[in-house]
Amino acid sequence: MTTVEPTVPGSYDGFATSLPTPTSRWSRLARRQGWTAGVAALLAVLLVWRVSQLPKFGAFEIRTITAGTMTLALLAMAQGVIVISGGIDLSVGSMMVFGNCLSALWMPDRGLAGCLLVAVAVIAITAALATLIGAIITASGVPDIIVTLAASFVLAGMALWVLDAPRSGVSADFQRLVAGRLDNPWPSVLWIGGVLLVLWLPLRRSRLGLAIYALGSDRKAAFLSGVQIAWTRVLAYTAGGVFSGCAGVALTASTGGGGPLASTGTTATLNSVAAVVLGGVALTGGIGGLVGPVLAALCLTLIPAIMLGLGWDPSNAETARGVIIILVVAVAGLLQLRRTRPS
Amino acid sequence: MTTPLLLETSAVAKAFGAVVALRAVDLRVRPGEVHALLGANGAGKSTLVKILTGVLRADAGAIAIHGRPVALRRPADAQGHGLAPVFQDPAMAPDLSVAENLRLTRVDVPAVRRHLSDMDLGQLDLGEQVRDVPLPFLRMLDLARALAFDPQLLVLDEITAALPPDLSERVFAVMRRWKERDRAVLFISHRLAEVRAHCDMCTVLRDGRDVASFVPAEGGEGQIVAAMLGEAATVVREEARTRSATAVDVGDTALLEARNIGAGRHLEDVSLAVRAGEVLGLAALEGQGQDVLFDVLSGNRKADRGELVVDGVTVKAHHPFDVIRRGVVLVPSDRLQALLPQRSIRENIAAPLFNRVTRWGPINGREEGRRIDEAVQRLSIDTRAASQVRRLSGGNQQKVTIARWLARGLKVMLLFDPTRGIDVGTKHQVYDLVRALADEGAAIVMFTSELREIGLVCDRSAVLHNGRIVAELPADAGESALLRAAHGLETVPA
Repeated sequence: MTTVEPTVPGSYDGFATSLPTPTSRWSRLARRQGWTAGVAALLAVLLVWRVSQLPKFGAFEIRTITAGTMTLALLAMAQGVIVISGGIDLSVGSMMVFGNCLSALWMPDRGLAGCLLVAVAVIAITAALATLIGAIITASGVPDIIVTLAASFVLAGMALWVLDAPRSGVSADFQRLVAGRLDNPWPSVLWIGGVLLVLWLPLRRSRLGLAIYALGSDRKAAFLSGVQIAWTRVLAYTAGGVFSGCAGVALTASTGGGGPLASTGTTATLNSVAAVVLGGVALTGGIGGLVGPVLAALCLTLIPAIMLGLGWDPSNAETARGVIIILVVAVAGLLQLRRTRPS
Repeated sequence: MTTPLLLETSAVAKAFGAVVALRAVDLRVRPGEVHALLGANGAGKSTLVKILTGVLRADAGAIAIHGRPVALRRPADAQGHGLAPVFQDPAMAPDLSVAENLRLTRVDVPAVRRHLSDMDLGQLDLGEQVRDVPLPFLRMLDLARALAFDPQLLVLDEITAALPPDLSERVFAVMRRWKERDRAVLFISHRLAEVRAHCDMCTVLRDGRDVASFVPAEGGEGQIVAAMLGEAATVVREEARTRSATAVDVGDTALLEARNIGAGRHLEDVSLAVRAGEVLGLAALEGQGQDVLFDVLSGNRKADRGELVVDGVTVKAHHPFDVIRRGVVLVPSDRLQALLPQRSIRENIAAPLFNRVTRWGPINGREEGRRIDEAVQRLSIDTRAASQVRRLSGGNQQKVTIARWLARGLKVMLLFDPTRGIDVGTKHQVYDLVRALADEGAAIVMFTSELREIGLVCDRSAVLHNGRIVAELPADAGESALLRAAHGLETVPA
């Protein structure tokens, strides 16, 4: 760089500040995609392990894994987008159960087209409800964890209004279209990938997506950059509601019906938080994406299956799952800390 | 006086609860002018900047741009009216790349690039994550972003504080260019030499009012300093409480000694020593590393370099408890950070008593009560709102933070701006208490943003500038000598 003549006496001794050396392509890639790559590697190991346990690994076995993961994967997306914006949502599971009950109420005795129409309506309703929850959080100033916890009770109650007992009879065509046949795993895989591609990717690239990341990263800086803080917060919940609705519809398709069991929702909420954390989304916001949580959701379904395959007691399998989550997140956190700390 | 004003504020006021930041400020900036906004810490500069840029809303007063009254409710409003700020803290989300941050503000990115290459920074990589960009370059990026809005008034809040001299020169070049285009710059800086060299006009704030406006190159630094201090400079220091001849002798060994402490970019090489019975005053402008120094002294942060010696023993502090158990205690400026706001006075004072985790068994209620009563009486704490500390006045809260250490016993007390925001009467009680503690043999380090307190309470002073001790002065050196040293100007030996 060129030198400049000093204008303030005695302040300048000809010392020239050098431009910062850019971080290498490799380390930039590692920072952006490192965690997702790590989760993918973990998933690969678990898959190989699971395959080696089974006498035969074919379409049926794949379908068991993917169809079983679909709802958790979609719910992890819902939780993920809200956590990225700097919030948390303890009502995603109840929202999913509510969507499940609504679609189980409306879908039976309808053809494929009717079922698809119902699915769209259900997703619109969950999105509207989530928007309302987001608006209450933003307008009232009550912490998000409290509002969404309360909302989860309300939604569980509403699910009981909609359906007072489990109900089945959803069109088999619809089930096949979303969750696949017993020997056809591809629809479930395509739906997970499709939601990522059609909903998440455009959002991630949009100004709203940037605003969601900025909000979670540093709320004050986002405000000073002209981001409409309140709107962005609310819209992050709306996006979460869309994904929760998708999860509800997927649950209907994979089980062929619905049930107002509150504990389904609670467990699913906690699993979604686990998937988000394991998938590399920082609970402080601003960091991570939705691919990681989806891969993490697959890991979380595989772990108990593997433990059962080893002949472990189911309760031990649960313990093992918890221990693995803590270990993975702690190790990954330490690795990241070492990378971000300058030597 | 026929030139229309680019910016005019009249009687702008702002209060935060009981604290009045701005009483009534009139500021007049003409086109083609670089206007400096000056004032001591807490005079209201930053609040005024935040109001002008739409971050805060004024409680009262009017703002006009080119003669037309405007309402600035949001940062976007200010931008729309041609006011572009560069804030003290970089306004960029750390987890996004620079380019993404630029997209967020709807700024014209090619214009940002153009301004960057004008400042000879065209090679900066905008794909870099903000976290990875060193602070001086973030300031320059912030500046380029502000310039890309092509503002009528460019507001630079302490931009040169974090910049090396050669980058500062590029900022000055931008200021000159803006002036030539008949636009204006509002320039806030603690560096008076920069103000003299580059500003056409200056307005000095004191206690939330504009007290003087003049051409800085004519008046010189003397006039600036006098305006910043105001009448306070002429007040007779009759109540000075420097160590009396009857007090205990100052010991030979220092109770607390810092040797060549360095920490990150904030502290370079700080050495200081305080002996028993002595009050050392620390003076500094905002952001010169005093908070980091206190963090290191109180064990809240590990120093990167140098060592900390307490009563002759080198201490490797990993945790505040490591220094607390050797009798070094901190009274921070944010009282609610030190206290348990929802609990009673009694519990707050008792809390540090239970720090010795090796001592088991139930709490000795009678002993606890005795020590607390003693401390409460000694500090004459108003106990009417005793059940919740947060309901006490600021002054009484500060007394409780001091009382909890009295009840525990201490060798060294570190006070960080202990009288910030408390009333005059309580201030004097705090001064008396500090003096009394020293006379009983404690060593005291007190940072203060009110320079007159150095003359009132301290035995000698050290001045911190840019992370270094730049001067050590006797207590009676006077405020203007302190202020000159704090601005990095050389001092005339007393």
